[in-house]
Amino acid sequence: MKSQNGKVMVVGGGIAGLTAAWELSRQNIGVELVEKSCFLGGHSIGFTCKATDKCQQCGACSVEEMLANVVDEPLINVHLRTEVTGLQNGDGLTVSLTKSDAGPAGGGILRGFSKNNRPLYVVGQDAGDDIPEGAVKITELGTEARLEVDAVIVATGFTPFDPSIKKTYGYGQWKNVITGLELERILRENKSLVRPSDGKAPQKIAFIQCVGSRDKGLGHLWCSQVCCPYAMRMASVIKHDNPEADITMFYIDIQNTGKEFPIFYEDVKSWLKFVRAIPVDIYQVEDERLKLMQLVEGQDAPAMEEFDLVVLAVGITPGADTPDIAKLFNIAVNEDGFLDGGSAATAGVFVAGTAAGPGSIIDTMAGAQKTAYEAMKFLGVTK
Amino acid sequence: MTAEKSSNTIEISINTDVLVIGTGAAGAEAAEVISAQGYKVAVAGDGGQDIAQSGRAELIEGAHIRDFAGVAGDFRACFVKDGQRLERNFGAVVIAPGRNVRPQAEPFGLSLGERVITLGELEKILADGNARSKLGGAAVALLLNLTWEGDPQYTARVLEASLAIQQLEGATASIYAGNVKVAAPGLERKFTYVREQGVVCFKPMEKPSIEQTGDKIRITTLDSILRKTLVAEYDYLVVEEKAEPSDRDLDLAYSLRLDTDLEGFLPSNNVHRFPVNSNREGIYIAAPGLGANIALRIKELFGDGVKSVPADRAVVDPEKCTICLTCYRCCPHGAIFWQDGVAAISPLACQGCGICASECPMDAIQIGGFNDKDLRRQVREAVAATQKPAIVAFCCQNSALEAGRAAAEFGMDLPAGLKLIKVPCAGKVDVEFIMQAFVDGADGVMVAACHEGNCKAERGNLFARWRVNEIRKRLEALGIDKQRLLFTTFASNMAKGFAETAAQFAGSL
Repeated sequence: MKSQNGKVMVVGGGIAGLTAAWELSRQNIGVELVEKSCFLGGHSIGFTCKATDKCQQCGACSVEEMLANVVDEPLINVHLRTEVTGLQNGDGLTVSLTKSDAGPAGGGILRGFSKNNRPLYVVGQDAGDDIPEGAVKITELGTEARLEVDAVIVATGFTPFDPSIKKTYGYGQWKNVITGLELERILRENKSLVRPSDGKAPQKIAFIQCVGSRDKGLGHLWCSQVCCPYAMRMASVIKHDNPEADITMFYIDIQNTGKEFPIFYEDVKSWLKFVRAIPVDIYQVEDERLKLMQLVEGQDAPAMEEFDLVVLAVGITPGADTPDIAKLFNIAVNEDGFLDGGSAATAGVFVAGTAAGPGSIIDTMAGAQKTAYEAMKFLGVTK
Repeated sequence: MTAEKSSNTIEISINTDVLVIGTGAAGAEAAEVISAQGYKVAVAGDGGQDIAQSGRAELIEGAHIRDFAGVAGDFRACFVKDGQRLERNFGAVVIAPGRNVRPQAEPFGLSLGERVITLGELEKILADGNARSKLGGAAVALLLNLTWEGDPQYTARVLEASLAIQQLEGATASIYAGNVKVAAPGLERKFTYVREQGVVCFKPMEKPSIEQTGDKIRITTLDSILRKTLVAEYDYLVVEEKAEPSDRDLDLAYSLRLDTDLEGFLPSNNVHRFPVNSNREGIYIAAPGLGANIALRIKELFGDGVKSVPADRAVVDPEKCTICLTCYRCCPHGAIFWQDGVAAISPLACQGCGICASECPMDAIQIGGFNDKDLRRQVREAVAATQKPAIVAFCCQNSALEAGRAAAEFGMDLPAGLKLIKVPCAGKVDVEFIMQAFVDGADGVMVAACHEGNCKAERGNLFARWRVNEIRKRLEALGIDKQRLLFTTFASNMAKGFAETAAQFAGSL
């Protein structure tokens, strides 16, 4: 189908890129959507629904819906397993694309998180004939081309904080110390919560907030915005599923989840123990339980407490390839290391989503709409 | 206003004038961005001279909405201004919500005055060169999120104000805070900077006790880090301003038939409404920074002023309609009105959920793609064709259907006798469909909806649950095991949950 209002390249197929692409297509603008991995959807397509018997407004289902919109939209041309390697600014923008090295090795098979991923399966080069229906071989995925576009939206996302950097938490060493992202996966793939070490239901669970965020020592002078909401929502799911669960949250300041937060927070406070202190050390004790040492408000001696499972609420950090992307697209980087959204706008290069800084799913969607609007303005489709 | 185009679509011409209610920052921004798209904008509210002077929008100053009617593309607003009625037509409406600001002096047993002021009053003093000088040399305490949870915008204001005080000759600022809301760009950095500039931030374990004696304010707290009682004296105390929904917004919610959240703020707490939608097509809720988002939705709604819509989205049979107004009352989108003696459904405002069709006592409404005859045939086929136990699952297309299809696609085990029937919303599952399934021989019936608070039709899932509960009572009265009818909720990404619930249900039959 021929687009009427110009063409925009969107780099990154997470929720920011999907939303921007969809909004552009609403205004009859053609989109070349480039995704480095083999699947659209980014981090958030793998998140779990955080409803108890009520929706908690996490937005995970909105990602699912946006993906379904995009894969059915003829104005959006998707390039999976593809990277941008060059940008030339002349009469319009010329973008060089090349195949990325993402994907399963050898005979491996990868499946997308959503049934709306097309293809749903990608198989390695050495896979035999016994492969799922509709699977695509890795060698058939990826675009090598130079494309002319009128503007570019960079939506390359974030890298979750690697908690093994904070060695005293024992992440990677103790099996029952997991990240918030791993908890998303466990809740999504099991009907109820299980401990990684033995598959049993943990009774005593600790959430440690601000892991990698609000941390002067790391130079991370930002709040990741998403961790308090996801931790409290997943704690609610765990509690709803197992009313006996004893859950503690170690925090600095509890951040709002969104609308009706005061009502939600009052409820959570009635069953979740909030401790305003961040533990420093985690030790493994018998039965692969974990012992936390913490300074507690109002107590002189440090307290020791044991838990079955510890969830590290890891935050959002700049995408690992941010320096390369900044250079490639001539975008400035801000003092926190994220892309500076407005810095390349006059050249027709815009930034959407967590590439520019932390944000929830719904805030990212709202922001990506706005970025799409800026690109439309650049094209003269809006004023 | 409508003209036949083809058998399945009609063209509707749309009034492309936009009414913006509210003259504050969000209203002004929305007016500017929308008028830049070439649409005529009128702004109603008090003040707003700057908007009028910009020439971008007409100002209907001091006018307040008395009556409101119509649907997207054709709203009618009746204003009262200086005792005169003024009627105007619009295609879309943008509401810039107001806030009632409630100063929080009383929770500490204090009254506002010379020395106990609100954040807003402090900001005015700081903005005024002459007034500001009286803070020179003063010790000022600012309260933050002790009596309410606040938000990042409020935290940012307190940080800015305390920094401005700290920079005055001899003045000091201290913040007494509950949860500091730093979940916004740059705020943690700002919070750190403010403290580096000498602003002290106390985080008391309990609500501080505050006494005013003459010109001095004494604050006693139990400090969490030092673990002892701290007493400090100040010259000024800045109390919090709690934001509450404005009376005007509550009135608007009523007259424009808009859902609010549980606190009374527009719109409802439903992820599908974010960031600017309401439960009604063509009515948007503004906030500072969301002008572009609203402009996009309005451009999509208006197009070039003529819109092609399906003719059969929801059709009323005039022979059957008795104008009982059931449909008007239960439509979550305010899409139903009446004309020529029968109910009429706007094909532009209607979202096709089908709640009205299921609730209509005369069966006078049919939903395009989901007419009753088709659905009954599907139920019959589902029961006839299945292996045992035969389960008919009515699945909302937005959630359960996606989850069920994903479970099948991912090769998860699903009961062999399970058949999914797609419905536009669980609100379109008629009582008679469920009863028919049992009569036709279903062993079990599942009504699978969205989670409460996630329904695109706001209450379709609740209607479904209410109906299921009623039918279960009836089944019991008939001596049929009520456990054969299940109401359940899913999100579209819950393939695993769907498979497990279906297996469990099949096992119970």
